[in-house]
Amino acid sequence: MTEAELDPVIHSQARLRVVAALAQFAPGDRIAFTKLQQVLNMTPGNLSTHLRKLEDAGYVEAVKSFQGRTPVTHLSLTARGRLAFEDYAAALTKILGGSS
Amino acid sequence: MTTHDSASSPLEPELDVPLGEDEGELPPDAASALDIIRAQRSAVRDAAEPDTRLLLAAWGVAWLVGNLLLFATARGTEPATPAGWAFAIYFVLLGGAVAVTITNVVQRSRGVVGPSGLSGSMFGWAWTIGFVGVYLIMTGLMRAGADPVLVNLGWSSLSCLLVGVMYLAGGAMWQTPVLYALGAWIVLVGGAATLAGLPGSFLVMALAGGGGLLVGALVMHSRYYRGAR
Repeated sequence: MTEAELDPVIHSQARLRVVAALAQFAPGDRIAFTKLQQVLNMTPGNLSTHLRKLEDAGYVEAVKSFQGRTPVTHLSLTARGRLAFEDYAAALTKILGGSS
Repeated sequence: MTTHDSASSPLEPELDVPLGEDEGELPPDAASALDIIRAQRSAVRDAAEPDTRLLLAAWGVAWLVGNLLLFATARGTEPATPAGWAFAIYFVLLGGAVAVTITNVVQRSRGVVGPSGLSGSMFGWAWTIGFVGVYLIMTGLMRAGADPVLVNLGWSSLSCLLVGVMYLAGGAMWQTPVLYALGAWIVLVGGAATLAGLPGSFLVMALAGGGGLLVGALVMHSRYYRGAR
């Protein structure tokens, strides 16, 4: 296992942060866009760019709704996204174990 | 209204920036990638989980100061009766702890919906339901002619039992050993406070109860930066 073989969707500093943060919540929990932004301290534009890539890969699900008249987007990892993150984390551990 | 987005529709389109803006930022190596994962764990904890240290400290101060005042003003009176102003201060302190708890929990849980929010609010309501039960039992005992000494002991012991059992439940639900141990301790404090009689009961509640909560807050704090629960 080498770093070149790591899942390219997750293996980017920004997307790794997004996925790792979402993975901290229990399966089934959905996190408001603004809350996720607060957790990650990312600009809305930057965050939505990476979320779209993760959504395209089927790792993240976005659900839009309205709170009163304000549109809100809630995000969660899909089962596939959670699995991909666990595989990624396991691969990292393996790389570190192999190189030391 | 809730709609499921298709994968191709953009999120927050008005804030769009070109794709690939920081595609080059790969984690430098596997070790720093693991560090990034760990950092998100603390970031989520700080933004989305109630701060147990703060809550335990607020309740610890209320119990410690309030019961010390009850003890100090009841000492030497026969039968042991704390001053009205001591009760007033105790209730203000308890009200403050309730306010700190609700504010922190509401603030931290805002923006998260789903199963963990549901179990959190069920746990929150369990406190209210439990204390309504304590209130009804005590009212019944007073109507049945319980004397003031028995009433004072009853409030302390039933409250301790409820708080202790709720901590045990919380510790079990969130796998927080410190909270679980604290729950066991508070249950024992309730028993000891009742056995001590008045006014010693107030001193037990202050030092072992309030002190125990403050020690719990310190233990949680020392584990905080290690990411342990």
